[in-house]
Amino acid sequence: MYTVSDGEIRERFPHRWSACSTSVIESMPFYHVHPGSRCLTIGTAGCNFRCSYCSNAHIAKEDPELQQAKMFNIPPDELVAMAKRMNCRSIVFNVNEPAVSIPSLIELSREAEKAGIMTGCLTNGYMTEESADILASIFSFFNISLKGLSDSFNKNFIGISSSKPVLRNIKRLAKDRYIEITTPVIQGENDNELNNMAEFIAGINPSIPWHVFRLLPEDEMKDEDYPDINFIDNALTEARKKLPYIYFHNFVGSDWVNTICPACGDVVIERFSLGCGGDKLKTDHTIEGCCKSCGSEIHLLSRNLK
Amino acid sequence: MSTAIIDARGWQSSFDLKTGEKVDPESDAQRIVKEVLQKHPYPGDMDKGSNRWVSDTAFELIDKYMPRFVFLSYAAQYFSLRYTPMTDEARSSIIAGAFREAERFAEVSGYTTIIVGTGDMTPLIDNIDITRLDGLALCTNWSARYAGLYEPSDKDMTLLSSHPFIEKIVPREEVVRLFNGSPDQALRVPEFLMVARRGYAFKALSPTMKTPVMIPSDNFTVPVSLPGSEISDITCIRGEIEKLISDRNIALIILEGAGINDFPLPYRSCSNGKEWFSYETGDAQYLTISTGEHRFFDYPKGYKYYDETDVNNDFPFSGYFKSIPENTFASSFPERSIAVGNKSMFMHMVTGADISIECFSRNMFNQGTMAVIHRDNK
Repeated sequence: MYTVSDGEIRERFPHRWSACSTSVIESMPFYHVHPGSRCLTIGTAGCNFRCSYCSNAHIAKEDPELQQAKMFNIPPDELVAMAKRMNCRSIVFNVNEPAVSIPSLIELSREAEKAGIMTGCLTNGYMTEESADILASIFSFFNISLKGLSDSFNKNFIGISSSKPVLRNIKRLAKDRYIEITTPVIQGENDNELNNMAEFIAGINPSIPWHVFRLLPEDEMKDEDYPDINFIDNALTEARKKLPYIYFHNFVGSDWVNTICPACGDVVIERFSLGCGGDKLKTDHTIEGCCKSCGSEIHLLSRNLK
Repeated sequence: MSTAIIDARGWQSSFDLKTGEKVDPESDAQRIVKEVLQKHPYPGDMDKGSNRWVSDTAFELIDKYMPRFVFLSYAAQYFSLRYTPMTDEARSSIIAGAFREAERFAEVSGYTTIIVGTGDMTPLIDNIDITRLDGLALCTNWSARYAGLYEPSDKDMTLLSSHPFIEKIVPREEVVRLFNGSPDQALRVPEFLMVARRGYAFKALSPTMKTPVMIPSDNFTVPVSLPGSEISDITCIRGEIEKLISDRNIALIILEGAGINDFPLPYRSCSNGKEWFSYETGDAQYLTISTGEHRFFDYPKGYKYYDETDVNNDFPFSGYFKSIPENTFASSFPERSIAVGNKSMFMHMVTGADISIECFSRNMFNQGTMAVIHRDNK
């Protein structure tokens, strides 16, 4: 988060982290980024969205000033050293919106680059074009949340007037960065937009992996019904014809977390889904990033976009 | 083969517990369990109906499976006390509510109950930040009192040894000696085990979690309610079950966050550890109760959890458990047993019951329920 003093925009709480932990990359989720690798996960506080179902509301929606006592105060070089000590291949910002902490993340990425550690993030994509350029200079890989298309959905559930900046920034980041996209589905509210979203993604690059989440009702939606899994699965029928890498998860035991070779239909990467950031690689059958059955290339960061 | 049946709210599927491979349920027990799961969706860790869910689910299972041994865990009050600021009156009322639920279970079921409190809670005074050492310090969010330390520098040791909130730093050899560990077991024990003073909690690397207002105290004794019993250690509870169950049905009830200060029933004050070590609520304490032997080494405090969980794919639905613990009472009991609990996803591992049902909550996100059938041939 920022403040203005002496005509200059400054970060209010640099190098203060709400989370600093280790996990596997699938649990972020990134399914096509060095499968099975370990990452250091970090976050700060605050967000530019007000999602009614936020699962990190105590971090994202609370005043960051009130959270300072519980934050980790770790400078970038120490974070990177920690990542190396714990054999992490990457550092992933995954709690709140990275655009609220850009100066700290710039410093961190410089340290990480020196150490040969990649950085990635989860973002809502809602920022200026200039900020998107800066984020593209910080991170190598992104998971961008495409929450809804219509103005009414965005106003009612996200607290913004339009998804246009998000769509623009998805296109921008996909140009020279590796991206995956995530969409939480609220039954009866944005499931009718799934085909249009799939079309939008396919228009950029049909190989972009798309994580369709069954919404876990939290925060202001805590008492709402859980969306029907079979209903959403059926709603994805048309979208699956447009995008070969669609994953439907965020619930334990999902059947839709494996990567299928678009060319021959064989399972090339198997995963477990424990829901809620608990996904995990089971077996990677690819050989040097290709299907072991037909030899077709699988869209993976480890192979295509180092 | 043990079978896990997941109910993710309106969607059920069955898996081999060890491999995570899908299986087709066929047995009567599996059909029974699926019905029970469907009928009893989990309301959430801090929901007012959470403890009632434990009893009601157990009643249903008892009715359908007719077990002779029942293992229950009530934990809603623990989560509420841990995270919600409240007055002493409100705290007492919440604990009293948990006891009322246990009593309701006893009255309705007619089982002879053994009620164990996992220990008192104490206000969190402050954290001990161990994130910026030269070495590596590890603990879980749920453990306040213990943290593991690896490759510390001289500077680290000087700092930590003089830290006012740290009670002691115990070398690996001393930990292994205390619990008569084998060389194999010693491999998992951290180089040093740090012990916090009462009211202080280690703050190590962790994902985002709510800040607790109360944490487990240093409970060297915990209350055990079993009229007529003379036991003085939690390792003796299993022996009491073995004696009593020959002529009656037994329910072992664990009440999380209840200690000697809040225990309204007649109780025996039982030793809850050894020398300087006291169990916090969690898998080691449950296993010690269910096996009758100290179980520090299964997943020692401060061990490098990520080294195992990131690479070992066995038991994907069982948290950090990578094998089924041996020697639990229910696993060798020749008659029928069940377990139900609302404290995380470990009842199927720590109790060894034929059938267990537990909430599937990770970091308190309610994702549904899981049943595990270890055996269905009784």
